[in-house]
Amino acid sequence: MMKELKENIVKRIKANFADAAEKNDFKDNRLDFSVKRQTIPSILFYLKDEMGFIHLSHISCVDWLEEGELEVVFIVWSPKDKIKVFVRTRLDRDNPVMDNVDMIWRQANTYEREMREMFGVQFTGLVAPDEFLLEDWQGPPPFRRDFDTAAYAEKTFWHRPGREDAQDVRETIANRDGEEIPDFAKKYSR
Amino acid sequence: MNDKNSQKIVDIIQNWARKHSIWVLAYGTGCGAIEIPPTMTSRYDAERLGVRGAATPRQADVLLITGYLTVKTMKRVIRVYEQMQDPKYVIGFGSCTINGGMYYDSYNTIKVLDKYLPVDVYINGCMPRPEAVLSGFAQLQKRIAEGRANGAQQYKDNLEWYRANQKKIIPNWIMPDYNW
Amino acid sequence: MDILGAVVTFLVAFVVGMTYGGLSRKITARVQNRKGPPWYQNFIDAFKLGFKKSAIHHGVMHHLGGAFLMVSSVMTLMIVPVLSHNNWFPNLNFQGDLIFLLYIMTFGPLGMALGAGQTGNPNSAIGVTRGLSQMVGFEIPWVLALVALMIQYHTTSITGLMAAQAHSGTWLMFSSPFAFIAAVMAMLGMFRYSPFDIVGAPTELASGPVSENGGKYLFVMMSSGSVFTFAKLTLYVDLFMGGADNLLILLVKTFALYLIPMLYGMTTPRYRTEQAVRWFWGWPSFFGLLAILQAVIF
Repeated sequence: MMKELKENIVKRIKANFADAAEKNDFKDNRLDFSVKRQTIPSILFYLKDEMGFIHLSHISCVDWLEEGELEVVFIVWSPKDKIKVFVRTRLDRDNPVMDNVDMIWRQANTYEREMREMFGVQFTGLVAPDEFLLEDWQGPPPFRRDFDTAAYAEKTFWHRPGREDAQDVRETIANRDGEEIPDFAKKYSR
Repeated sequence: MNDKNSQKIVDIIQNWARKHSIWVLAYGTGCGAIEIPPTMTSRYDAERLGVRGAATPRQADVLLITGYLTVKTMKRVIRVYEQMQDPKYVIGFGSCTINGGMYYDSYNTIKVLDKYLPVDVYINGCMPRPEAVLSGFAQLQKRIAEGRANGAQQYKDNLEWYRANQKKIIPNWIMPDYNW
Repeated sequence: MDILGAVVTFLVAFVVGMTYGGLSRKITARVQNRKGPPWYQNFIDAFKLGFKKSAIHHGVMHHLGGAFLMVSSVMTLMIVPVLSHNNWFPNLNFQGDLIFLLYIMTFGPLGMALGAGQTGNPNSAIGVTRGLSQMVGFEIPWVLALVALMIQYHTTSITGLMAAQAHSGTWLMFSSPFAFIAAVMAMLGMFRYSPFDIVGAPTELASGPVSENGGKYLFVMMSSGSVFTFAKLTLYVDLFMGGADNLLILLVKTFALYLIPMLYGMTTPRYRTEQAVRWFWGWPSFFGLLAILQAVIF
């Protein structure tokens, strides 16, 4: 039953959009399509109006640092058929530009603001105030993988000395007070 | 009458009154605020110590910084702290206020609270259980009774030092100057 | 001698009002299955607020707002006869003082409203409008009950009503029962416990009109609140329960009457302002009209 529904969806999408590459080897109710950036508004309109995927679950962004690309993923859900569809595009990492889709779903506005601030993806036609989560932020977009948060935190904030990471409390106290950790507790220590 | 002795008696009465009636501002700045409702309600009753919730900074004594403090929240917390009336105390709650805690490598939270606000008592834990919170309040009561809980005076005396630290991490300083 | 009596009355009202507040917190805590604060907790709160080192205010009117509230409470206290036939408490009553009492009881919140208006805090403005709207609500059954009493016994002074009780031997609670029921229902609104505590709710509105007052101003408001509580309770005892001859009987009667809003408030949720006003113009006003009918016909 689910298999026929999924095959049906794959057939219709591939008939209307020539550049949709799909992945259909999930055992549950998921489907995956990769398209080019220019077809995103039309495929989302088609999914919402004609195929019953009326619920936008999430828009997220994946940072493929080694390949030099950012990938934007739309997750839509159909409450009638109960099937999730993932729609993916790849963007160039040095100049990531996408089209604004908040005329299809209004909550896409919030997701796009977050991606603009945290990943640096520019959305043409997005009407929203500049600051969202961070205030007076002057550095690079913080969610990218080449932004070293530990080094930034070390440089900007004052740290309390005497803290070393990855310490076991029992070992520390045992070393400090000269005690022995009992045998039954040793198998849980590192 | 000897002036030093009479001043001491007045201080003892004042500290006794302040110690047994602590009003906590109902403002949870971080995720540690989830341990405040169990402490205030029926099982680990904090009202028998006189601890009560207060609605506005003008009526509160204690500011509980529960957990991590982001840069965005810190602007507001400084403004709230300066609206409170003397004598006021700050309790640092959780290990994020002591040395950064779980978010020690985050680009947006401060690591040591002591540089920006004068802290009287730290309660460590992640989160501290209600028994630990009550023991923290008992420690604050002991400090008040001894007369050592004067963080407000310390803030007033070293205002330039605190302001320099605050302005270093808040680049866009648009706060008004409050009259003391 | 009258000045000494006035000071003694004020001190007794302050102590008894604060104790009743502390006892209310203790009883509420016991009902919720926990140990509460000690019964003298309100005194400690008041002293702590008085010992605050800085007092921040927003102008002259805000500074005087608390003073208006205290003046209204003290004036109400002076008119209400605390103990009958006692030289320690002054007797400043005159003919027609029941109507005078109705006016000065509303003077305090108006003064505090002016003070809260100068702070510019929107929470204070909303809290003040809600408080005054609720006052419009409970004034109707209260005035109806008092007018019924005035018609039935042909007197407008409190001492006249107490003399009528002493003369006939029965309390007014039994000889004009509808007026008593309407007045008790109005009392629920006067004390501002649940379900009518939306005015000063801390989580709903940042405590409404008192939200910009801290320290010494809050001390003045708390003390005036407790003095006003004692004055209202004593007024009810004088009007409906036959007054009191010595302090112990007065304390027993006022505490028995104070249990009504306290216990009812522990178990009810909160009304919105329009629901509260609609309730006050429903059954309590109906009982008030029945009281006037009974006073005119019988």
